[in-house]
Order: sequence, then structure tokens, then C-alpha cells
Amino acid sequence: MFSASKQTILELDRVGYAYEKGSPFIQELSFTIGEGDFIGLLGANGSGKSTIMKLASGLLKPASGGISLWGRSLTAIKHKDRAKLISYLPQTLDISVPFTIKELVGMGLYPYDIPPALSVDEALDMVGLTGKANARLTDLSGGERRRTFIAMTLLQGAGLLLLDEPLANLDIKYQIELVKLLKNLRETRNISVVMALHDINIALQFEKVMLIKQGCLIGAGSPDEVLSRTMLKQAFDVDVEIRKSGDKGVYISYENNF
Amino acid sequence: MFSEAAAGPASPPARIVSLAPSMTEILYALGLGDNIVGVTSFCDYPEETKKKTRVGGMSNPSLEAVASLKPDIVVMTTDGNPREFEELLRTLHIKTFVFTARRIAELPQGIRELGAALNIRDRGAALAKELDQSLTGFAARVKAHGPGKSKEKILYIIWPEPLIVAGPGTAMDDAIALLGRTNIASSASTAYPKYSLEEVLRQAPDVILIGKGSGMDMMEVSRGILHRMTSVPAVRNGNICYLGDGLYRLGPRIIQGIEELAECLNRK
Amino acid sequence: MSKPKIAALILVTCLVFLCSLFLAPKAINPASLSDIEREILFSIRLPRVLVAFLMGVALGASGAVLQGVLRNPLADPYILGISSGASLTAALGIIGGLTFLGSFTIPVLAFIGAIITGGIVGVMGWKRGGLWPERLLLAGVGLSFLFSALLMLMMSISTDEGLRRAMLWIFGDLSMSEWQRVPYGLVFVLAGIALSVVRAKALNALILGDEFAHSLGFAPQRERLILFVSVGLMTAASVSLGGMIGFIGLLMPHIMRFFIGSDSRMLIPASALGGGALLCIADLISKSIMPPMELPAGVVTAIIGAPYFLYLLRRKDVLSV
Repeated sequence: MFSASKQTILELDRVGYAYEKGSPFIQELSFTIGEGDFIGLLGANGSGKSTIMKLASGLLKPASGGISLWGRSLTAIKHKDRAKLISYLPQTLDISVPFTIKELVGMGLYPYDIPPALSVDEALDMVGLTGKANARLTDLSGGERRRTFIAMTLLQGAGLLLLDEPLANLDIKYQIELVKLLKNLRETRNISVVMALHDINIALQFEKVMLIKQGCLIGAGSPDEVLSRTMLKQAFDVDVEIRKSGDKGVYISYENNF
Repeated sequence: MFSEAAAGPASPPARIVSLAPSMTEILYALGLGDNIVGVTSFCDYPEETKKKTRVGGMSNPSLEAVASLKPDIVVMTTDGNPREFEELLRTLHIKTFVFTARRIAELPQGIRELGAALNIRDRGAALAKELDQSLTGFAARVKAHGPGKSKEKILYIIWPEPLIVAGPGTAMDDAIALLGRTNIASSASTAYPKYSLEEVLRQAPDVILIGKGSGMDMMEVSRGILHRMTSVPAVRNGNICYLGDGLYRLGPRIIQGIEELAECLNRK
Repeated sequence: MSKPKIAALILVTCLVFLCSLFLAPKAINPASLSDIEREILFSIRLPRVLVAFLMGVALGASGAVLQGVLRNPLADPYILGISSGASLTAALGIIGGLTFLGSFTIPVLAFIGAIITGGIVGVMGWKRGGLWPERLLLAGVGLSFLFSALLMLMMSISTDEGLRRAMLWIFGDLSMSEWQRVPYGLVFVLAGIALSVVRAKALNALILGDEFAHSLGFAPQRERLILFVSVGLMTAASVSLGGMIGFIGLLMPHIMRFFIGSDSRMLIPASALGGGALLCIADLISKSIMPPMELPAGVVTAIIGAPYFLYLLRRKDVLSV
């Protein structure tokens, strides 16, 4: 099978960021995200995952270094154009917003003067929310709420989804549902996904894992490479092991800690 | 009216505090000007008043200021002074006189009563008689002219923007009635209503009187509203009079106020 | 967002406008106008109803925008302190007896007061490159208290006459409406509405939060600034046209949300129309209760609005931004 070389969508080049002057949080951070990537950004709470996501989306401006989107500097691209390329979903959702699901998903069209061919109902179908057009966020389950916003990004037509801990507070069933949906979207619509998470087992589902500790990228590669005992000890300060179960299937074991 | 029995015969109180400009003027007219030791900040007539000690406003006089002047009597009116103040003065055992006259017709009698309370019954009666005579004089002149004048419609503007006029129960209304004319606002529900411009146009007054605002050029200030009343006979025929503040105080100068009013009305 | 609902709203607004024009305080038959009635209709009633409508439009739209920008269902155009500043300068003019611009003196003073206050609130709400809703709210409320205190000070040392006139203005005075004021009101109110409707999509996105707004292609701080300016213009125009008339900016968006949804592209114009209609009704009532005396329109809106507001509080589903 011959796979064409992937195009780079987003590149961070020695990016630095400080929340307060004089205490840099992120330093010399570099990585690239390519077409079709399915990346998990793994790290403990406070390790800088959210900050990195916000930098990647343009929400925060780097204090040093540069970020380029499809080869052009992120700061030089107009907001509307950038919105058609990257979609960022924050960690916390305010579910009291007064809009219907249809109205929310429809907001994905805002960057466009001429609406693209996809309709709200089609997007809802694609994420498995058929028939919920007139409901409100408060009527939906946690997983359905996340999927609503994913439908919105579909209308946005963004090729890169940056999701900040979308699995937090979801039951395992919905976590799995969401990851499956994202994988599916990557297959059918060539959408690249970068997801911040701190559940190590789910991280195994990703094609590539980036391990973050205190604002630094301490490892990047396939789950096999990155999720080793030493690396995980460094990132999470616990003693874990990757075990194989049968022919296929791997899982993380914490047993030695107890 | 009285709060304590009059202290002995003969002499009027040596130390009087007045809580209203109208009362101050009446006291001066009764020859008691020198006995006044305290006035409000609004008392400005006659000139000598300006040198007197101030005790505060009409609706908020200072109890301490009044008490520290050790008055023999405090003269106040129901038209502008707070009732509660009188009670406060009584708890301090300060004698008070409350002037209850609010209409022009009640003024002479009010002065008589004030005169009695201040032990100058004669002077009080004399002043009251003088006022009575002037008032009857007006009424007589009106009768002499015949009934035609009562058809004349008058509007007394207290302030042009917003339009506030003199309604029923005011000195202006009394004066207009005394001179035999009709106040178009006399059926309003309060004394100084914010009046409908539309209603003025409908009523079409023959004469418009504009009262004096403190320190203001009333012609300037009224220009706007008169401009919107050009169809009204008073404006069309130029029957607009800018009056002084004579009618604003229920005191001896009310006669001048009425005279000024009469002069204006008879001019046309 | 359906066409029949919009058509119904426009129809009701026109009806209210016409009723206010022809029925209060005395009914006028448009078919047979006497000379005096013609004059009353064209030089007194028509400008007055137009001014009332403009004010209501400004207040309704401002309320809808502010509740979204501040993400607060209790937001009302006066919460930013703009009206307190305007009342202060207007009262200064009334009590101080200023008349350097004739009939325009008080409206111009009110407008200046509103704009200056808006500027101060904007500056106080600014930090690190943008306007922050919480800071705006706090600055507005704080300034409101300060200006109210100054106003009370001024009133306590003024004559009864000046005091009464100042209060009549502050409580909403439509009686001085004249044709000359209409163009100025129109310009500022239209500018404000145009500005806010054009940015209505951004407002929707802002309601989701700055992060979503950014993701959808907006610069949240810039949009907030533009919307804040639009509210400032409309509120300043409204207060200078006829004093403080409350509850319309607060309640209209909630009422309209119930009928027409929360999409700002519809909510802003609907709240504007509803506000215009409501103020025309309030004006009609204020002219008809104790004729020929006129009550301040603000008193009427307060008497209608306060109980309705309490009722809304009980219906929790309605009271959300």
C-alpha cells in the first residue's frame, strides 16, 4: 500500500507562553499536526494541555516562537478564514445557553458568507443526533452535548479539530461513543483530531500520543513507543505497565502501586 | 394655632423665627421686622431680611439652628413647612404659631389671628382690613365691567418645559377668579399639574400669564413652548404677560401681584 | 423565526402606534379633522408618539444586546450607569436653570452625560486588551451608585420647584417631544440598531463564551466593544429624548425570547419593535389616566413592569439568557 506523504496542517515552532510575566509556562514547544492525524495529548492536570490547545487554536498568542497554519502564520490569517480551518472545543460547556440544538449547530456556518453544502440535519445525522434538532442542551446527555458541538464543527468545515478534554465527566459508554465517532469522521471526511485527555487507557486508541509534563513535550510517537513504564512514571508519577491481553488488546495496569 | 397660653399682656415677642418667606413679609408688614432673629434661606424680602440668620429651608429647617436662637415664638405655615417640625419644636417647649391660610380669601383672617397670637391685635386687624379693602376693590371693579369678562380664558404657566401650570387651590387661580376670569386649568386634579399641551390648544386661552422663575429670563425659557402654541388666541394676538413673583407668596405683596395681573388683563 | 410571527409583531406594533396616535388623551377621527385637531395631530401627537416609539426601540434593542454581551438575564440598559450619568447632567441643567440651547439644552446635557459615563465605564471595564463583562457590570453599578448619590445631594439643596422639575424629567418626560428632536433620535437609534444587528451573529457566539466565539471566527473583545458602543449610543439617545423609562430594556427580550427564540438576529429587531409598541402603550396610559394632567411614562412602565418581572421570576424557564 502506498500512502502519499501527509501535508502539514499546523506547525508549532519553539513556542513559548507565560501566564504571568517572568514565569514561563511553555518553553520551546515544537510539534506538527498533519492531515488525517489522530493525536491524543496526554498529561496530568495542570501539565499544560489546555494551554497548548489554546495556543494551537490561536486563542492565546505565543510570547515567543511561531505557529503556522497551512504554511501561513496563524496571526496573519483572518479570523473567519482561520475558523474554516480549525475548530476548537473548550473543556467546559455552559449548558444554560438559550439556543436549540439546531441553532447551535447552525452557528458553524458563521464564518461563511456563502453557506457550504452540508445542512444542519445532515450534520446531526452524522453524529447520531437525528431528531434532536429542537431540543436544548439541558435535555441531552453529556455525550450528546459533545456531539452537538462536533456537529457544529462539521458545518464549520474545519479540517482540524482541537478538543480540550471532551471525555471528562462522561460515562465510559459515552467516552467510547465519542472516540468512535471521531475516528469515523477522520475516515469519512479526512478530519484531523487532536484531543487533550488524561485517561491513559483511552490514549491507547490514538494513532499518535504526545505526552506532556509541565508545559514540555516529553514524548511523541505511537502509543507503544510513548506509553512505556518510564515515560508514564515521568508524566504521571505512578508506576504502571502496559500488558497485552491475548492476541490483540493492550491495557494499562496499576497493580504494582497497591 | 396656639401651643401654650399667651405669656401675659401687651408686648409682642422679642425673638421671632419665621419659617417661610411669606411669613417673613407679613411680620415686616406688621412692624415686627426687628423682632425677627431667624429666617429661611429663601426669605429675601424686604432687603433687611438678607442680613438675618438662616435656619435652613422651608421643607427642611434645622431644629438645632432654630433652638439655638432661643426664640419666643416660631411662625410657620401649613403650606410648605413639615408638620412634624412643629411637634419637634413642642417637645423642646418652643412656642409655635401655625398659619393655616392657603387661599387669598383666607389671608386677612389669617393675619388677624397671627396678630392676636403675637400680642399686636390692633396692627393685625389694621393690616387685615387694608387687605380686605383692596380685595373688595378688585371685586367691585370686576362687577362694574359687567359679566363679559368671565368668558375670558386664562392660563397661568408656572414653568414652560415641562409645562407646569397653576391649577385649582392656588393663589393664581384665586386671583384669576377674583378678577372675574376663567382659569382653564381649574378643573385639573392637583394644584400644579404637568399639563397636556394638547389640552391647551383645545382650550384656546385668550391670555397667557407666565410666572417668574428665580433668576431666569422667562422670555427665553418660554420661547419654545409658545412656539408650539401659535394657534392659541393668546399667542396669536400677543396677549402674553410675564409677571413677577407677587402671587407666589401669600403675604401683603399679594395685592401687588393681583394688581399686576389685573393690569395685564385689562390692557387688551 | 417564522414569517407569520414577524408579520404579527409588525402588525401589532402598527396598531399600537395608531391607537396611541388617535385615541389618547381624546379620540380624534382621522376622517373628519377640525383645524385644531389637525394641528394637535401633526405638531403634538405625531412627534410625541414617534419619539416614544424611538425610545422604546432603543431600549428594547439595547436590552437584548446587553443581556447577551453580559450573559446576564437581569441586564438592562441602565445597569451600565449610563442613565445615572445622564440624569445627573440633566438635573444639573434643570436645577441650575441652564438654557443655553433653548429647548435642546436638557437633551443635549443628558446625551453628554450618557456618553461620558459610557466612556468611563468602558475604560474601567477594559483590561488586557478588551472589555470584560464582569468588570463592565461592576463599573456600571458602582458608577450608578456614585451618580445617584450626587444626584440626591443636588436635589436636597435645590428648591422644591427645581426638585420637582428634575424628578419629572428623570421619571420619563415625553411631553416635550417635538419634531426637531426626531431626526437626532432617529440617527442615533438607527446607528445603534444597525451596528448591533450587523454583529448579531457575533453576539450569538459571545453568548456561548469567548472560546466558542473565537473558534467560530470572531475576535471576542472587538465584538464586545462594538456591541457596547451600539448600546451606549442607543441608551444615550433614549435617555436624552425623554428621561429614564425603565423595565422595557429588561423585560422585552424575555418576552420576545418566548415568542421568537434566542437568535439575536431576530431577537434584537423583535425586542426593538416590542419595546416601541410597549412605550407607545405606556404613553397612551400616562396621558389618559388623569387628564389633562400627564403622568411620567416611567411611572407607568414601572407599575406594569415590576409585577410582570416578579411573575417572570417564578417562571424559571423563561428567565435565562
